[in-house]
Amino acid sequence: MDFAFTPDQELLRATARGLLARECPPALLRAHIKDLSAADPLWDHLKEFSELGTGPTVDLCVFMEELGFVAAPGPFFASAVLGAPLLDAVDSDLLPKVLSGAQTVTVALAGADGQWVMNAEAGKTFVPEAATVDLVVAVAGDGTVVLLDHPSMRRVETIDTTRPLYEVDASAGGTSIGRIDAATLDEVLAHATVALAAEMVGTARRLLAMTLQYAKDRHQFGVPIGSFQAVQHKLADMSLDVERAWSAVYYAAMTVEVGDDDRHRAVHVAKAAAGEAAKRAAKDGIQIHGGIGYTWEHDLHLFMRRAFASEALLGTTGWHHDRLADLLIN
Amino acid sequence: MHLAWGPEEEEFRAELVAFLEANTPAEVLSRSDFAVAIRRAEDTELIPQWARDWQAKLFDHGWMIPGYPPELGGRNATPVQTLVYLEEMASRSVPRSVHFPGYAIVAPTLLEFGTEEQRALAPAAIRGDTVWCIGMSEPNAGSDLAGLQTRAELDGDHFVINGQKVWTSYATEAKLCCCYVRTDPDAAKHRGISMLIVDMSTPGIEIRPLHHLNGQADFAEVFFTDVAVPRKNLVGDLNDGWRLTQGSLAHERAGLWVESVSRLEQTIAGLIGLARRVGVAEDPIVRRRIGEVSERASSLRALGYKGFTSFAQGSSAPEHSYLKLASSELGKALFELGMEIQGPYGPVTDNERSYDSGRWVLGLFMSFANTIAGGSSEIQRNIIAQRVLGLPR
Repeated sequence: MDFAFTPDQELLRATARGLLARECPPALLRAHIKDLSAADPLWDHLKEFSELGTGPTVDLCVFMEELGFVAAPGPFFASAVLGAPLLDAVDSDLLPKVLSGAQTVTVALAGADGQWVMNAEAGKTFVPEAATVDLVVAVAGDGTVVLLDHPSMRRVETIDTTRPLYEVDASAGGTSIGRIDAATLDEVLAHATVALAAEMVGTARRLLAMTLQYAKDRHQFGVPIGSFQAVQHKLADMSLDVERAWSAVYYAAMTVEVGDDDRHRAVHVAKAAAGEAAKRAAKDGIQIHGGIGYTWEHDLHLFMRRAFASEALLGTTGWHHDRLADLLIN
Repeated sequence: MHLAWGPEEEEFRAELVAFLEANTPAEVLSRSDFAVAIRRAEDTELIPQWARDWQAKLFDHGWMIPGYPPELGGRNATPVQTLVYLEEMASRSVPRSVHFPGYAIVAPTLLEFGTEEQRALAPAAIRGDTVWCIGMSEPNAGSDLAGLQTRAELDGDHFVINGQKVWTSYATEAKLCCCYVRTDPDAAKHRGISMLIVDMSTPGIEIRPLHHLNGQADFAEVFFTDVAVPRKNLVGDLNDGWRLTQGSLAHERAGLWVESVSRLEQTIAGLIGLARRVGVAEDPIVRRRIGEVSERASSLRALGYKGFTSFAQGSSAPEHSYLKLASSELGKALFELGMEIQGPYGPVTDNERSYDSGRWVLGLFMSFANTIAGGSSEIQRNIIAQRVLGLPR
């Protein structure tokens, strides 16, 4: 059991960190609120990394954690993390262009209840980036994977401006590109879920880092507020949640990468732990920031929005707790 | 990043498993359920004979502290092999010893800081032949340990001790005590402390057993009145005792979490069995709560392995404080959930009217000690905030 990154993974992390610090400042997130195309220059850099989507899971998580740290907008999650593995599973000839970054794709699966499970409904929900990608593929109730032909869609406003979500009407149909069975779809989703959890740990780390810095800088009563035990203990608990979520995520990534028997349980643990860490970092982060954190001008809310929205995507914390119970009790 | 252990570790594990399957005492096997950590009401002896025999046998076969050489009850195991050992012992709920001070704290301290004569006491401490206690906490020195006031004055070739220790585990059984005393009352509080080896039969020592809130007693108050201790019993340098409080099994410290995390997992398995027997295993609220606590325990196991990786790479890992804090707090939550599952029967301890003979409420009461002893949860949060996150004092 070895949690150390390989030199290649260290290099990937450093490369991503440097690139994103330069190309994805909070100003980009703000510009993206009014104009989704503001994320296009960033995508020109990120598309080079699309192959990570079907590569080793730990590597993908390393990259996603860094994307989460800056709450990067754009189609990487939809296209490389969700779309590419689905195309790969049905052996689609659309895959090479997606992996090269020449084309982007997203996946429409959830029905009206918003759960990412196979269903026969034509009205698909929570489809990320549907209007900004080149291709939308839907999974039908019998597992048929359909490349939709100019589907009608509607953006559904959420609290998170960084990852636009859409309702997509799949009733007009399109071209069948293959068929996926439920077990294989579970594998695709497990892979995407642990990657999303890694991204959430990155966002939680960002919220913790901003809050920690603020607690050291902000003075009241003549001392830094971070010297008060009440503030220290909140930060200690935030940090504990981030640490255990990080560990749960990379453990799950290792199990998914090698197809270990423990992988489904581990992914539920990872997503739930990441959900708890992200929400605690957001809630206690704003509390420690006080009034300034409640303003539009301060960047904290950009990451807080991402934290809450990701917690609800691909299964809430409670949903994953329930699936864990199913595995343990039955 | 790798999931599996190497062949060297698995070979080591196989050897241990063969030994355990052939030798684990019946008294351990008979209680290999989730409540193994909880001493039963019918246990009258603090250190029963079977436990003494078992510890000696582990020592003689090199399975007491595998990282030590054979003369100290080990087999020169690597750090990873030691983790495998702790993992396997914990998953089988097999204790090494029922009294920790001698093998876990005294022996490593004597080996590191003691004179040749003092180091010679280590094998018997590890084998359990000599029962030790440690005189640390005092009525006014708990979390603030360096504030201890028990005085030792040098008088010719003897120290003379006056004062009081409290929460002294196994004091009633101990032959010897590693006692922290103040030898320079004028120095800064961390600088005036020394450690002395005290024979518990010395005149002037009075021991009063201290009962837990559940009625059991495994620690005591110890009173010292003009207790004479030979000067040669000073461990380390005079007034340098604070440094010795850090002494413990350094090579095992990075793996000690395995035991508490395994116990949490076994307790969760017990919770599931309880929920079935009470008839609430299909209740959605109960199921979600069980999923939640299971997620917590699993993430702590992952964090433990992550911390061990840093340790094995030679960096001092902060994970110990995270794991101590989180596992002791989760332990309380598990027993509380066990009570909640039983509804009105939660507090019932009547053997004929309760589930599991009231283990859940008794376990909850015992678990209160775990967020206090060994550095309370508040102290752990202070450590994380100040030493890990770098917040100002």
